[in-house]
Amino acid sequence: MENSIVLKNITKEFKVLNRHEGLKGSIRDLFSRDYKTVTAVDNVSLEIKKGEIVGYLGPNGAGKSTTIKIMTGILKPTSGEIMVNGKTPWEDRTSNCEKIGVVFGQRSQLWWSLPLVESFKLLKDIYMIEDKNYNDMLDFYASIVDLEPLLHKPVRQMSLGQRTLSDILASFLHSPEVVFLDEPTIGLDVAMKSNIRDLIAAINEQKNTTVILTTHDMGDVDALCKRIVIIDKGKMLYDNDMEHLKKVFGSYRTLSLRIRSSQMTDDFITSLEERFSPYGISISTENNWVSLVINEDRIKVMDVLSGVQENGSIKDMKLEEISTEEVIKRIYTEGI
Amino acid sequence: MSRGLSFYLRIYVKILVQDLKSKMSYRADFIISMVGMILTNVVGFVSFKIMFSNFSSINGWSYNEMLFLYGFSLIAITPMQCMLDNNWSLRMNVYNGDFIKYCFRPINLFFYYESEVFDAKGLGQFGFGIATLVYAWNKLGLPVTFFSIIKTVIFAITASLFMMAMQNAAAATCFWIDRSFYVLDLTFRLREYAKYPVTIFNPVFRFLFTFLFPIAFIAYYPSLVILRPDKVPMLSWISPVIGVLWFYMSYRIWMRGARKYNGTGS
Repeated sequence: MENSIVLKNITKEFKVLNRHEGLKGSIRDLFSRDYKTVTAVDNVSLEIKKGEIVGYLGPNGAGKSTTIKIMTGILKPTSGEIMVNGKTPWEDRTSNCEKIGVVFGQRSQLWWSLPLVESFKLLKDIYMIEDKNYNDMLDFYASIVDLEPLLHKPVRQMSLGQRTLSDILASFLHSPEVVFLDEPTIGLDVAMKSNIRDLIAAINEQKNTTVILTTHDMGDVDALCKRIVIIDKGKMLYDNDMEHLKKVFGSYRTLSLRIRSSQMTDDFITSLEERFSPYGISISTENNWVSLVINEDRIKVMDVLSGVQENGSIKDMKLEEISTEEVIKRIYTEGI
Repeated sequence: MSRGLSFYLRIYVKILVQDLKSKMSYRADFIISMVGMILTNVVGFVSFKIMFSNFSSINGWSYNEMLFLYGFSLIAITPMQCMLDNNWSLRMNVYNGDFIKYCFRPINLFFYYESEVFDAKGLGQFGFGIATLVYAWNKLGLPVTFFSIIKTVIFAITASLFMMAMQNAAAATCFWIDRSFYVLDLTFRLREYAKYPVTIFNPVFRFLFTFLFPIAFIAYYPSLVILRPDKVPMLSWISPVIGVLWFYMSYRIWMRGARKYNGTGS
């Protein structure tokens, strides 16, 4: 299959003024030529095939936005090669924009005061979509979502969910090759999240559009992505199947226990650490809660629970799948 | 696929029509802002009139000539007010990172950004300006010929280019500095001085108003062509060229700022 996006050793550096503290410092800054270089994206290489949905993950400030900006042609990389749909995006931003769609979870790109259908018509003109393609697309949309009530409603009057839905529909309207979705489900309720995911999956399947999905919501990733790419501090940490990640981290659970406050002593924590560290369990505490990250391949949650109970009395407990943040932290500290 | 002038014109008209339609649907809002606009102009006019009841002329300029300048300046600032109103929001958009959402369309960024908002109130001001100009024209007994009307139109367009250029450049400062509001506000206030002949100011301001903040080009220099046809300075004749240059420069500054901008992350 052909590649939709290819990044080869992409690096992006920014020059940032070294700021000094205090009044004297700010006066110095006015005349200062004292710049430091910050590497936002560090030697990232990536190949994304046509029709793939790739989850692009990483903590805040990891370099996700910068990479997306490079792929959309807004930023020029400091070094490295990039091809999107066979062209270098920053060399011709306009023609790149014709073949991509972009959605930001919180920032609607639709005309605020216009009914959705008028926004669609304007987009039809801007992207020079042919009548037939436009009508086919609307028919297709009508077959997967309840379009009619949305079409004649001004975007301003829509709920956040409806607006996100509309933004996603608008971003696929010109049949782009690649669509970038930046936290499309942020702030939405569970039902709406699931609607949005179904919609993305349906369009991807029908139109074979490549989708780059940036999110902090593991639910989005689970529902949509077969492959994930994790980036932190500008460096690529992980690029592999979802399956693979599940295999590695699927057996991890986070067990949180609330211990009677009188028993929450340093001795108690030390005793737990001594007892469980051979099983690779990491322990952290917050107020009266003790969190244990357990690899179930090595020790069963039940065994840990009874072990803790020997020394302390448990008032409350939570058992969670490992969170994205935890996975990223693990990959970062332990590698994979 | 190419996107030429007619493409942009068509898109602009479509957005405009839709925007007006939706504004009219908020009737109270529309009427109140219209009334407000008319009142602002009436007040401006009355204070102008009061001032002139104390002087018979300013530096050799009669009441009716001053009225001509006044009307001309109102017309000249209309395109800026109507079409570049979104420049007022630029600072906020840049500050909170919303500006990034304008960067992904395959059309001119400046056009796309500015086309989003059309301030219909400016049209009322335009009508006010035309009425004042026609009245003064009549009172001054200026000839109505094909040539004089063409001249007026060309120089009104020229004057509006200067106003738009100043506003663009002022708004674009937000790409570089934090407190850019004051720059934009200052520029907007300076337009108040546009309706006076630049000769009444001292040489320093005369220089500033001609070359740095070119408000002398908004009414004074272009009006001379109509009002004092026998002694038109060189600057008046070449003002259309300077106007186009100024506008182009302001556009380049705006675009350079936009390109420098890369959002606040998300």
